[in-house]
Amino acid sequence: MSTPAAPQPTVTLPRAGGEREVVIRTADLWKIYQMGSEQVAALRGISIEIRRNEYVAIMGPSGSGKSTLMNLIGCLDSPTRGQYWLGGQLVSEMDDDELARIRNQEIGFVFQTFNLLPRATALHNVELPLIYAGVPPQERSARALEALRQVDLGERVNHKPNELSGGQRQRVAIARALVNRPSIILADEPTGNLDSTTSNEIMRLLEVLWERGNTIVLVTHEHDIAEYAHRVIHIRDGKVAGDAQTARGKAREAGAARG
Amino acid sequence: MHLAEAIGIALETLRSHKLRSFLTLLGVIISVCTLVAVVSLVEGVNGYVGEKIAGLGSNTFSVNRYSLDEMTDASKFMEAQKRNKPIRLEEYRFLLDTAHLPQAIAASVGRNSATVKVGARSLEDVHLSGQTANSIGMAAYKIAQGRFLLPSDEQHRTDAVFIGNDLLQHLFGDGPALGQTVYIDGRPFQVVGVASALGNVFGQSQDNFAIIPLGTYQKIYGDQDSLDLQVQARSAALLPATMDEIEMLMRTERHLGYADKDNFGLIGSDALMNLWHALTGAIAAVMVGVSFVFLVVGGIVIMNIMLAAVTERTREIGTRKALGARRSDILRQFLIESAVISTVGGLAGVLVAWLFTLAAGALTPIPFSLPITAVIAAVAISSLVGLFFGIYPASKAAKLEPIVALRAEV
Repeated sequence: MSTPAAPQPTVTLPRAGGEREVVIRTADLWKIYQMGSEQVAALRGISIEIRRNEYVAIMGPSGSGKSTLMNLIGCLDSPTRGQYWLGGQLVSEMDDDELARIRNQEIGFVFQTFNLLPRATALHNVELPLIYAGVPPQERSARALEALRQVDLGERVNHKPNELSGGQRQRVAIARALVNRPSIILADEPTGNLDSTTSNEIMRLLEVLWERGNTIVLVTHEHDIAEYAHRVIHIRDGKVAGDAQTARGKAREAGAARG
Repeated sequence: MHLAEAIGIALETLRSHKLRSFLTLLGVIISVCTLVAVVSLVEGVNGYVGEKIAGLGSNTFSVNRYSLDEMTDASKFMEAQKRNKPIRLEEYRFLLDTAHLPQAIAASVGRNSATVKVGARSLEDVHLSGQTANSIGMAAYKIAQGRFLLPSDEQHRTDAVFIGNDLLQHLFGDGPALGQTVYIDGRPFQVVGVASALGNVFGQSQDNFAIIPLGTYQKIYGDQDSLDLQVQARSAALLPATMDEIEMLMRTERHLGYADKDNFGLIGSDALMNLWHALTGAIAAVMVGVSFVFLVVGGIVIMNIMLAAVTERTREIGTRKALGARRSDILRQFLIESAVISTVGGLAGVLVAWLFTLAAGALTPIPFSLPITAVIAAVAISSLVGLFFGIYPASKAAKLEPIVALRAEV
């Protein structure tokens, strides 16, 4: 089917039947904490797969282990048992410095509390991952500027966080997550500190990023936020309690099949 | 890589908490200021004294009853008092007759307690000395009016007197003095010459003197006091050889055996300088020690403030780690920050010291200078202190677990 070039963002739709590569694969992931003399298992054997350009929400009540799982997926922590491959690399066996490199190159974090450096400009905040990647200054600011334009903040590059609204701050954080062209964007309750209007704005932005080909992993406890994703993995008592497509996911698959 | 960033953060932190920064840096400021000021003071005074001592002439030395060692050490002095004999006129004549290397040998003997009167005006505690005519060649002063003593004054033991500028001012009120009669301890003398003004050294006037012929002096005050001999070598290069010759001749004259120690002293201007340096060196060492104590205190305060900064910015550290900062990146950032803070303190200390030397230079005759080496050393030391006392806080920051740091309540 050949359609004339339309003034719309390129949408990479999955080809029916054609399986995309696996970005995240965990095999029997355990995390056990030592609490005094007692051992508490936060994760009890999690095995999941997430493919490139998926939009997945991880849901679960507090204490379910979803935060622990997010920390492991984000390479902020190491599992007690089990394996974790990210983009084909076995990260569960890596040391601190290698994990830092993986976080720098493969993962874009979006936090509930934004976590911007208060005294630095938006541009400098976005440049930070590039600084640690050793990107030379000129290329660094060019790429940071480009990332800020992608989140519609091209006009506010020299503002400091306290000169920006909550939604704008989160968009700076999203630009920072994008700037290193990571394998996954890991958003931990990205709308937890925002009002509903701004929340919708941010969720639409994530959707746009997904359409541009990014892989998004969203951690949330809110159903209506999780509904933005195409697939929801439910975690309960440290185990996968459910893994299903959302209404959007089904619609998208149906659309893809028809296409 | 992120050197500029770390320096920027450090300066920003200092700017945003001005009072806290000042209090933090007080220790470093005081210590660096002390250090630089002491070095500047010692250098200034050394230069001043060196200039004054060099006025004695770099190719002259003196032969005295006691050596410098004996004069500055009480127990050696007690011992030397029994052993060393006064230097006699005959010994002076012997040296004049036998020594080949000296250009000239002058002799003098003096006391500090003469009273000089002209009419109703009188001046007490004048330094009166009997000198040979050739001593003018080795003196610091110049002839302002008239002449110095002549060999004939020496031969005939005349009543000629050569006076210092203080006597001219006090006794003659700047009026004509040549040919006038002054009474020294009640005896009349004729003024033949006046010296140019020398000014003060450490507040002590150098112009309060009267000089009469050596023979005249000994006739009045006796010949029991030891002479001081001034020996002028033909050149600075010949000074050591000249000193050796005089020492050898003095030992011969006094019949000293091979193993006997000198029972007289030879004092060159370098020996005086060495004594002076030993003295100021001791003062400087104490002050440098004190300033290092300040520096350690300053370093500990910086360590404390850096520990507070690590706690305050735990979330920032977590964020940086999540974005890919390695332990070494965080370590370096906080080390640089600590070093920069401390260096700023060092620079402030140098500034205060500089103001101090300006003030001291304006209020005293001593030419204070701020040696650039001291400034560089002070700044280098202060940044090293920052680095050293930053190690613990920085390694604490570097070791933070990312998940713990990210979840920190601030």
